[in-house]
Amino acid sequence: MSYFEGRRRWRSRKEKREGTPAGRSTSMTAIMRGLVILMFGILIIQLVNLQVIKGEQYREQAEINALREIPIPANRGLIYDRNGTLLVQNTARFSATIIPGDLTDGDEATAYRMISNVIGMPASEIEARVTEGIEVQGEFNPTVIKGDLERDVALTLIELEPHVPGLSVQVEPSRNYLTGDLLSHILGYIGPISAEEYEALADEGYLYQDFLGKSGVELSYEDILRGKAGKKLVEVDAAGRELRVISERRPIDGTNLVLTIDLDLQAAVQEILGEYSTDNDNAAAAVIDVKTGELLSMVSLPTFDGNFFSGPVSEEALASLIESPGKPLVNHAISDRYAPGSTFKTIVGSAALQEGVASTGTTIVSRGYINVENEFDPNVVYVYRDWAPLGALDFYDGIAMSSNVYFYYLAGGFADEGFRGLGADKVAEYARAFGLGSLTGIDIGGESDGLVPDPAWKQETVGETWTIGDTYNFGIGQGYVATTPIQMLRAITAIANGGTLVTPHVVAEYEDSLGNTLEALSSDTSTVPVDTANLQIVGQGMRQSVTSGVARNASVSSVAVAGKTGTAEFGASRDDGTYETHGWFVGYAPAEDPEIAVVVFLQRGSGGSDASPAAARILDYYFSGGGPTYGPGEDIPVPDPSPVDVLDATAAPGTTDEPIADLPEPTAAPEEDPDTAPEPEPTAPPTAPPTAPPTSPPTEPPVAPPTDPPTEPPQETSPPAAALPDERRPHGVVP
Amino acid sequence: MIARRAMRNFDVVLVLLAVALVAYGGLLLYSASLNAYPTITMDHPLTKQMIFALLGVGGMIVVAWVDYRVYGQMATGLYALAVVLLAAVLIVGDEAYGSTRWFSFAGQQIQASEVAKLLVIVSLARYLADRQRQMADPRVFVISLVMAALPAVLVLIEPDMGTAAVFGAIWLGMVAMAGAPPRYLVIALGVALAAIPFMALLTLGDYQIDRFRLWIDPASDPLGGGFNIRQAEIGIGSGGIFGQGFTHGTQTQLDFLQTSTTDYIFSVLGEELGLIGALVLFALFTALLFRGIRAATLSQDQFGSLIATGIVIMILFQVFINVAVNIRLVPVTGIPLPFISQGGSSLVMMFVALGLLEGILIRHKRLEF
Repeated sequence: MSYFEGRRRWRSRKEKREGTPAGRSTSMTAIMRGLVILMFGILIIQLVNLQVIKGEQYREQAEINALREIPIPANRGLIYDRNGTLLVQNTARFSATIIPGDLTDGDEATAYRMISNVIGMPASEIEARVTEGIEVQGEFNPTVIKGDLERDVALTLIELEPHVPGLSVQVEPSRNYLTGDLLSHILGYIGPISAEEYEALADEGYLYQDFLGKSGVELSYEDILRGKAGKKLVEVDAAGRELRVISERRPIDGTNLVLTIDLDLQAAVQEILGEYSTDNDNAAAAVIDVKTGELLSMVSLPTFDGNFFSGPVSEEALASLIESPGKPLVNHAISDRYAPGSTFKTIVGSAALQEGVASTGTTIVSRGYINVENEFDPNVVYVYRDWAPLGALDFYDGIAMSSNVYFYYLAGGFADEGFRGLGADKVAEYARAFGLGSLTGIDIGGESDGLVPDPAWKQETVGETWTIGDTYNFGIGQGYVATTPIQMLRAITAIANGGTLVTPHVVAEYEDSLGNTLEALSSDTSTVPVDTANLQIVGQGMRQSVTSGVARNASVSSVAVAGKTGTAEFGASRDDGTYETHGWFVGYAPAEDPEIAVVVFLQRGSGGSDASPAAARILDYYFSGGGPTYGPGEDIPVPDPSPVDVLDATAAPGTTDEPIADLPEPTAAPEEDPDTAPEPEPTAPPTAPPTAPPTSPPTEPPVAPPTDPPTEPPQETSPPAAALPDERRPHGVVP
Repeated sequence: MIARRAMRNFDVVLVLLAVALVAYGGLLLYSASLNAYPTITMDHPLTKQMIFALLGVGGMIVVAWVDYRVYGQMATGLYALAVVLLAAVLIVGDEAYGSTRWFSFAGQQIQASEVAKLLVIVSLARYLADRQRQMADPRVFVISLVMAALPAVLVLIEPDMGTAAVFGAIWLGMVAMAGAPPRYLVIALGVALAAIPFMALLTLGDYQIDRFRLWIDPASDPLGGGFNIRQAEIGIGSGGIFGQGFTHGTQTQLDFLQTSTTDYIFSVLGEELGLIGALVLFALFTALLFRGIRAATLSQDQFGSLIATGIVIMILFQVFINVAVNIRLVPVTGIPLPFISQGGSSLVMMFVALGLLEGILIRHKRLEF
């Protein structure tokens, strides 16, 4: 054991203490003790700083660390048609994403392989996407590997999430519109909240990842459909995994909506309208309950698949939708404004009766045109044409035959005969009273307010003086006046129901999830300043129009229809000097006790031969309970609407199978009487061509008032606009 | 054999303090492992730690039993062993957390520098004790510096800044205790401080520069390297005076703290037991270190006194650095908290160090009676 005593080769020198002052040892001890105390002192100072002085602050941070408030999204409200048919479902869209920075280093290949096995995309492609994702948006933003996963695939992938750090399956709320393209403009669609929307709505509890309504009912009833998101306070670990729920507030699901729309009727209207339009043209039709303002149907063509925005939207697909000539994304029933043409005569007529300008017995003879001298130079004479020399017309005939001359008189008067008209301001006043020129207040967005011109407006906007020609054009719904189909429908509804201006709407009521009505919506109404009796006179004129006037193609066997056609020229003249025309029909049925009113608008077509039969089929569908409807060329002869026929047909009202019995003989055939229709002097025109005003133009310029005779006799077209010096204006009849 | 009389000098308090620290550390280990190990099994870090503690106590007894002067006789060999260990670990060692510090041996990982520290302390003590009358000789001063610098450089290569600094502290403490002229010490400190910027440029990898940057501003990489600095700070701060309660620290229990059983175990204490818990720990360490200083004072010879000084400085410096990292006083550097942190090498070697102190104490022959 001596080895362990350590004496063999080396000994520690014990004599150190002899040479070392005892005090040194003591002082070293003191120094070392001091050092210990000093160092712990430093630590204690910092600890007191962290734990006592800043303790509260760190405690809060620890809480923020460990507690997370997680929103629980509410289910969006469902939407039903008026008969309880479900129109839209809530679904989810799943996409597989990778946060490259969260992938385990060195294990990426394994991760790619595991994901590849589930989603069936080659691992190399996944890797390529991740690489691209890193370049584009960095390591810590999720890169979408594959969007729109099948539900099963998504669920499998979600199970994989805990095993593959970096993998994340993102779930977005989506809507499945069950009716395809049938209600796209009414229902609208939802989309992710935009930066601007978020800024505006953050106070209302919207979150950055929220989806909200972007158009249609989805947008206008967002507040109702959305519900109220719940939230839960959860304790999470450092990896963000939820450990336990500390408190929870259940979400309140969105309220269900019941539309006023009748799905079957909507389908029929869309089908019928489609037969009278093409993909490159606009068309709109709507059916309204005249008592309540409930829209039973509203169709805008061309339409688009309601689920277009539910999936990933490709740039090209969106661009082609936007650039498509028919503008499918636009709801032409409410967003586009067009010259109303002769449908506007219903309003002028009502105004004339109310103002005493006309009565039922007011007889005006249409020789096919009227001449007006230039107020400064009597040698300059302007001619305003009717669509035919219609002879002597009383008020009913004026409407039924849609005589332009009759309404020139009513609107602008005729100085030569001492007939005092309404004047432009009165026409404008009544037009506005019937809701034109302002929003109807329909409960979906994107509505246009149209335009009701008056002299002050023209002076201000166009910078020119209003002329008698403007008043004449105004009186027949041409020139500057522009309306949306829904505005005309609303105006005609007021005539049908005795003077109540309803607010058209597409949502009937709110329902809870059990189908109990929470709130029935009613329409705000106002009253037009026209006596019911006068409106009934206009209505009788409209009824006569269908029975024996220009709207005969709108007659159906199942119900008595009252209606008014309109054929408004638009665009630039064609090579042969004619114009494209919009075809309008507004009307209601049954004529004696109106239930519904209808508007049909065709961007290309005529009121009598296209819009009227379309309306007839819609009305017949409604009143004969969905039975067989008229097709073009069946019960009602629909002549070839080709403009080529126009000139020949002018003076030949008897060319239809059904002669118009009460049509007065024209006093003279206009084509035989060229002298009375002198060309206006091209110089010193008092008016500018009624092209688009420089500001606030309608959707399309109200150019080229038509002079064309109708495509077939019982049909009017709007006559020439103001006396236009331009050669092309009074084309047609006048040599 | 060790005389029974000598056993009277065995410092029971020192051992009890160490056992108290290990027990305290065990509690913290238990809390920090609660998520990963809900029940105590043979795999539980606490079980392993206790086994290592027993091993350490055994090692302590053996080391104390052998006359410490034997180690003095073996000093050259021990020093060579230290250098070989540190060099070998660079070649055949295991890498973890970007640093090569460990040998794999019998399924356990042995941290070479933990062993080397004690070997270097003994070697330095022998060298300085032999030259206690020549301490004014600059050559002695420089050679002792080189003796400490060689292993320090080797651990720096691993890289392990913290342990390298421990070598520096040990050397400084020991030469001071050995009676080196104060002006040398001042010069050495001055040179060391002046060299820091150059050292930083020449030898620091991006890894150290990153750590330094993160220490200044953990928010510069809140989810990466700055994460733990921040979470430790939040954890300790949120502990306040009395702590969040044992096993109730959210930072610890929800895994916001990383390496909460090793380098960041002090954060567990700070969060769950608060300032009071920290003061208790500091009190235990202070008492332990005072007992170590007592051993240095009582040692019958300079050799023993220097060993005791080296050990005291080593423990003090490690505690200081470890806690200072936790409370963001110094940049991150991986040094275990003696007796507390999970890790067999450190724990066993700490007990071995205590064995050296006991060996010194039981052989001192003066100042009693």
